[in-house]
Amino acid sequence: MTTGQDERELLRRQFSEFAVSRDPALREILVNAHLGLAEYLARRFANRGEPLDDLVQVASIGLVKAVDRFDPDRAVEFSTYATHTIVGELKRHFRDKGWAVRAPRRLQELYLRLGEVISTLSQQLGRSPTIAELAREVEASEEEVLEALEAGQAYRFASLDAPAPGPDDEGSSTMASQLGEEDPTMASAEDRAALSPLLERLPARERRILFLRFFQGMTQSEIADQLGISQMHVSRLLARSLAQLRSLAESPDGI
Amino acid sequence: MATDDEVRLVVPSSPEFVRLARVTASGLASRLGFGFDEIEDLRLAVDELCHAVIGASGRPGALSLRFVLDGNELCVEGTGHFDPGGPPVALSQLSRQILTALVDRHDVRPDEDGRPVVWIRKRPVRSGQ
Repeated sequence: MTTGQDERELLRRQFSEFAVSRDPALREILVNAHLGLAEYLARRFANRGEPLDDLVQVASIGLVKAVDRFDPDRAVEFSTYATHTIVGELKRHFRDKGWAVRAPRRLQELYLRLGEVISTLSQQLGRSPTIAELAREVEASEEEVLEALEAGQAYRFASLDAPAPGPDDEGSSTMASQLGEEDPTMASAEDRAALSPLLERLPARERRILFLRFFQGMTQSEIADQLGISQMHVSRLLARSLAQLRSLAESPDGI
Repeated sequence: MATDDEVRLVVPSSPEFVRLARVTASGLASRLGFGFDEIEDLRLAVDELCHAVIGASGRPGALSLRFVLDGNELCVEGTGHFDPGGPPVALSQLSRQILTALVDRHDVRPDEDGRPVVWIRKRPVRSGQ
């Protein structure tokens, strides 16, 4: 890492400019410039039973908050300030966990199996299967199916680094890589203006999937088809992103 | 209420109990023949509803939920029981946008005591077999 004096000076100027303009593009630059710090801190909280990817997400939220709140006129380095905010966010994540323990293995296996069955049945039926149909197919009760879906969707159980289940899984492609590129439908200024300023603070891939579901009105199945991932993953991502939006909205500088 | 099927649930107004609301709603929706797509949407909507009442990280008090099977339509209502003086319960513009995509109808109305009730209604597109 070469954080030369020029670079530091550039960041300082960008922070001063952002403090006045609140330009979302500038916010993204400042956030991206410090993602390494968020990842580094997330790693220090790994091995406590939470997927690292989830922790990185939590740390990134802390980073966004830090960028938004940082006052460049105060005599403190941004990295010092951000470390404090990010660690606070990570600690809160563990504190809020409550009883969210890992789902029993039986439910995890059922959840993975359901991922395949949902894809197969949806194609066979030409529509989304009912819970009764799913239960029949996996030879479990409807309650077990619902429990497994619930356990799988609870966003804390989900890791974006996990391979997408189902026949579309090539084993190598993960959600993160599949959702990385920017959607052309997001490009027009008009569309972006329609988005809540809160959405602007999410990473591009989350923004895209939320946009398709809530602003374009695509169904979860359609989004899954378009992105070439399982619908379960779409569902999990949506649940997680909405939880992050709520967390951002409730921060003191939320909108 | 004579012909309605109704389930009531009162839980602490804290995020870890929202799960019970999701499980209850999806269980009832499954009885109405909701498809997997619709149940996943309903789950997200119930999340949104509950957090609109209790906030992102909860607050001291109770969240009371009412689930009504009205024909083949499922109605979920959430009311907060909090000490006075906290933040008001309301649906943000973004929450409304989200709920519009997830359920057929939604809104906030006052109950008999003037407390805000956030409600959603959703029916399956195709009636179950």
